[in-house]
Amino acid sequence: MAKRIVLDLDLCCGCRSCEAACKAAFKGEARIRHGDIAGEAYLPLACKHCNEPLCLAACSVDAITKDEATGIVTRSAMICIGCQSCAYACPFGVIDAPLIRHISQKCSLCSDREEGPRCVVACSSGALKFLSDKEIKKHQIGMRMVSKHAFYRRSP
Amino acid sequence: MKKVDPAFTTVKKTVCPFCSFGCELGVVFDDFGVKGVEYIKDGSSGGRLCPRGSAAALYLNHPLRLSMPIKNGKVLDWTKLSKNLKNAFDKPASVAVTFDRNLTIEDYRSIIGFCKATGVENIASTYFEPEVLLREFFGKSFSVDDIGKARMVLVVGDPFNQTPMLSKALIEWKLRNRKNRLVVVDTMKTHTAAFASDFLKCRTDTEPLLLLGLAQENIAGVNVPETTGVSVSKIADISKDLKQSKDALILVCLSFAHTYDSMLLVEGIKRLSAYAGKQIIPFVEFPGFEGNQRFGTILDKIKKKKIKHLVNFGELFPFYYPQISKSLKTVNIFATSPIKHKDHTVLPVALNLEKQGTILTNRGDQGLSGTINPASGARMVSEILALVKKTEAGGRTVTPPAVTINLVERAKRIVARTKTPRKKKTLRLLGEKVSYNFLGLFEKEKLKINPLDAEVLGLKPTDAVFLKSKYGEVNCRIKLTTDIDQGIVVIPAETPAAKGLFEYEVVDNIINFIPTEVEIWRKG
Repeated sequence: MAKRIVLDLDLCCGCRSCEAACKAAFKGEARIRHGDIAGEAYLPLACKHCNEPLCLAACSVDAITKDEATGIVTRSAMICIGCQSCAYACPFGVIDAPLIRHISQKCSLCSDREEGPRCVVACSSGALKFLSDKEIKKHQIGMRMVSKHAFYRRSP
Repeated sequence: MKKVDPAFTTVKKTVCPFCSFGCELGVVFDDFGVKGVEYIKDGSSGGRLCPRGSAAALYLNHPLRLSMPIKNGKVLDWTKLSKNLKNAFDKPASVAVTFDRNLTIEDYRSIIGFCKATGVENIASTYFEPEVLLREFFGKSFSVDDIGKARMVLVVGDPFNQTPMLSKALIEWKLRNRKNRLVVVDTMKTHTAAFASDFLKCRTDTEPLLLLGLAQENIAGVNVPETTGVSVSKIADISKDLKQSKDALILVCLSFAHTYDSMLLVEGIKRLSAYAGKQIIPFVEFPGFEGNQRFGTILDKIKKKKIKHLVNFGELFPFYYPQISKSLKTVNIFATSPIKHKDHTVLPVALNLEKQGTILTNRGDQGLSGTINPASGARMVSEILALVKKTEAGGRTVTPPAVTINLVERAKRIVARTKTPRKKKTLRLLGEKVSYNFLGLFEKEKLKINPLDAEVLGLKPTDAVFLKSKYGEVNCRIKLTTDIDQGIVVIPAETPAAKGLFEYEVVDNIINFIPTEVEIWRKG
């Protein structure tokens, strides 16, 4: 069953444990980035594994594919030529442009790991969750941002 | 990505030794060595790990990991090194033995036992982080569940960035009941401060005075609200509520060179705890050990040429404090380190992760499994000591000379300092301790600067700048943020270059790193 990363905004403390877990596992290249809202809040931004991924459409060498069963959008490091088309095509800006190894960095939901993405398990505040489509029925995108109180953290 | 067959990998469980929280983690090995970190779901932290824990594999596999002793950058064989060390200990009166972090309790006891056996009387701690002053509060075991029972928590510092493992309990506690009161004391708006019910934002360097004010201490000649910038009514309200709240807690994290007088800050925390009758819970990277002397005394003896050799056990000293190097020119230094440094004689030592032993954590003593073999060439502290003399590890510890704090005098110094204008074209540099920047393993430090200061200096967002103090210079990128006041800039003090910028004072023979004036200009 397809599972997605969900971010609970109320819980995120901006410690970047998720980014550290990703960087440590992938030779210093983080596949999860952070958005900084006017210096007030940090938002982890990971690949949403879109239903109709623009990165896949933009890839000139078909290095990016989508697994219909799991919904995971993966990139083959062997085929990728590092043209950065996917990085420019991604509307969420979650594919990183620095091409250290001449390949673009793309979140694969840690498919090498049975227990799920490292960023989720490492999350020190429990803000990141890895839930099945059933659990997040209303939302089809890969990373959903949920909050009971909009920017609760900023309004004591 | 291809799934890794578990048959080809081994996970060795241990306790993370990089902060006092003591989370369980697994280190994954394959045929080629360390592969990464595994998150133990049934471990004490439920698999959650802060960036320091995730950095464990990077540190074990550091590209500069030292495998042979080196002297001024050149390889030295163990036999020659052993001879040099033995010669140094021929006259124990002229030797100082010091230690910083990356030591187990057993290592420390071995070092003290060794000093006794060899007749070395100059023993001191070289762990100069202000958090070491919190060691005395480690007596009572702490569980994050204690937060759930409280109605009020007073936090000094920024645990969300410094000790992220605390964040889940704090956030859930606060969200569960809006009446739960989280009070944060700091000089800048941090992630923790943004989440607080009450953020007591005080002027740079004035946290100690604010804490003394909360403890209702009357200091002759010091007007706390005026100096700190926190109103009388706010101080009175928090002070009263802290005293009346049942099971309230005081959580403390201290940063390198964030405050002018760390000793007074700790005194303020202690007095607030006594006044309110509430427990202090310290969060540190390493609780530190004590010598029979303070390092200031050792520096004096070096100056008078009474000490000729200094042997340091740990990983930071003297490499991470280049500003002290000038005072150490006349002394021959042997220092242990897991990674290469070009100065002095450096001995490859095992990381705590690679040891079997005990470390002090917030939950009491925790055992390190010793299942991870030390990196090639790295030796245990006991093996290094045995190069000079074989001694048995005993239950020995030593106590340093007591320090009496003159509260009024120190408080007045802070007041005087807040009134001293900055030099033209300079900004005041503060340090912060961000777990993501741990030893610079993930990211090069970024300098936080107020947009108005940046405009005056003609800097744009993400510009690369040179930052120069009396002691050194670094280049780094800037990050514009209104979280900090005009006139101050903030850097994570995690690398030798960043730590090396800060000025220090020796007060009561204790080294104290302080906010420092710096010049900044755009690179290129």
